[in-house]
Amino acid sequence: MTITGSPTITPSASTTSLASTRTSHELTVVPGTRTTRDDLRAVPTVLKSEWIKLSTVRANKAILGLTVAINGFAAWAVATSVKDEVPTVSKVFVFPALLTAVLAAVAGILLFTTEAQHGTLATSLTAQPSRWIVAASKMAVTVGVGLVLGTAGMASAAAGALVGGLEIGDTSAAAPTALYALLFISLSALIGLGIGMTARHSAAAISGLLVWWFVGENLIRAFAPATVSRFLPFDAGYRLLGVGSDFDTPEILAVALPRPSLAVVFAVYAAVGITMGTVLLYRRDTN
Amino acid sequence: MITVAGITKQYGKRTAVDDLTFDVTAGRVTGFVGPNGAGKSTTMRMMVGLTRPDQGEVRYDGIAYTDLRHPARVVGSVLDARCMHPGRTARHHLRATAAVSGLATNRADAVLAEVGLETAANQRAGGFSLGMRQRLALAGALLGEPEVLLLDEPSNGLDPDGIRWLRNYLSGFADQGGTVFVSSHLISELAMFVDDLVVVGAGKLLAAESLEAITARSEVSVTAVTPHADELAAQLAAHGLASAIVGDRLNIPGTTTTTVSQIAFDHGIRLVELIETSKSLEDSLLDMTRASAEFASA
Repeated sequence: MTITGSPTITPSASTTSLASTRTSHELTVVPGTRTTRDDLRAVPTVLKSEWIKLSTVRANKAILGLTVAINGFAAWAVATSVKDEVPTVSKVFVFPALLTAVLAAVAGILLFTTEAQHGTLATSLTAQPSRWIVAASKMAVTVGVGLVLGTAGMASAAAGALVGGLEIGDTSAAAPTALYALLFISLSALIGLGIGMTARHSAAAISGLLVWWFVGENLIRAFAPATVSRFLPFDAGYRLLGVGSDFDTPEILAVALPRPSLAVVFAVYAAVGITMGTVLLYRRDTN
Repeated sequence: MITVAGITKQYGKRTAVDDLTFDVTAGRVTGFVGPNGAGKSTTMRMMVGLTRPDQGEVRYDGIAYTDLRHPARVVGSVLDARCMHPGRTARHHLRATAAVSGLATNRADAVLAEVGLETAANQRAGGFSLGMRQRLALAGALLGEPEVLLLDEPSNGLDPDGIRWLRNYLSGFADQGGTVFVSSHLISELAMFVDDLVVVGAGKLLAAESLEAITARSEVSVTAVTPHADELAAQLAAHGLASAIVGDRLNIPGTTTTTVSQIAFDHGIRLVELIETSKSLEDSLLDMTRASAEFASA
């Protein structure tokens, strides 16, 4: 067989028929070697595969349902229980976004770890030996999942607050708050993906994430100076919501970063997580 | 043709595959055998780019797997039949596999029919028997109508009808010019349809030749039953053939019934029974790999 500079293709009879009438398995295609163009052409098909995988597993639908339910209920609960001040929908709709971010991070972890644990990652990597395509597609889908969860969650929270009897209120800050919330949730999902790509084990990744998020960071915040703790990843992410915390001391508030800076801090952590995960995807053997 | 050239893989201090070199020829079925821990699965993973060899390379008609433009259209592989999400239906599993391979997703129904799973298309893989999972995994390998099939223990869990179907399918695939490389522990099953054998032990190549050549080397012996055992033994010895006498039975290794019957006829010795036996392929391969078996039964 001769490999030419301009590969030619000899179509076999079976390529136009669903029911294979192929009469020969001999090499009829001069394959040539893979190019960057081939890799780029593969991205839409791999994205399609990721969508099929995402939409055909009940667990993902359950996470979406849980997000809607938690956000709606939490906002309704705030609307019906808070009496010392009068909240509005434009403020309450983002209160449960922290829970949505946790669910998004878990979803990001599961997007990778379920594949690794069920062996379908190997199928993807044999189909696409250029592993960056698989990594990039997973990142794109993960961001999409974050955006969907964030949007559905905030919409549900707004609805819950309305049902709870709250007024809409001043919406001038709602749009930027919503965008920052979406950023927080999507980057949380990406961080989850990076953790999943590193750990390759669902339970280890999820428990590690939650322990760091709700125990590790609180401990560091309690003992480290505010100038250091303001760079903690999920602390920075949470402050994107513009919601105050009971743990905010005057010292913390004095050195608090503005939202754009918080976004950069959180994004850097997401980038580090994804980069580490992608490097390990290349370096590690896959069973 | 697949060219495996000097591939080596180490995990810490353990050498899983040690300088393995062999060719897999198109139009033939090549069996890949060896004891547990011999490096078969590691070798097959290196052949599809899942595991990087520390040294050496694997090429498909001169092209490395990672450089193939459409890997799924050249190589269809089944390395683990459990590689599927239990919550996903067979059809969705194949549609996702087709999509990631750059193939039309409507190929899913065609390959399901090809492996006899069309009625289970909407069933979740978690409810499949092992045999059904094997068939589904094979369907995934066939999506791209590849020229090469790489299968690791494909008959595990298949019922006799399924094993026969698989055997016929792979033989037919090779007859049409395809390349088949299949590993199995069922040596007697492999012997029914492979043309060549690659035998490994402790990561090293022990043999890579045709089934015919390996079988020909298997020791053949003849058992002769005659009322003139001593006389026959003497005549066989005169022709350079040693024999062991037990009553009226002689066991003569390394010869054929034709030779023994001719000697007996030439000297007027009556034979009651004449049987030729040869060491089975399984026994031959077990002898070959015994020294390198990592886990051997007592």
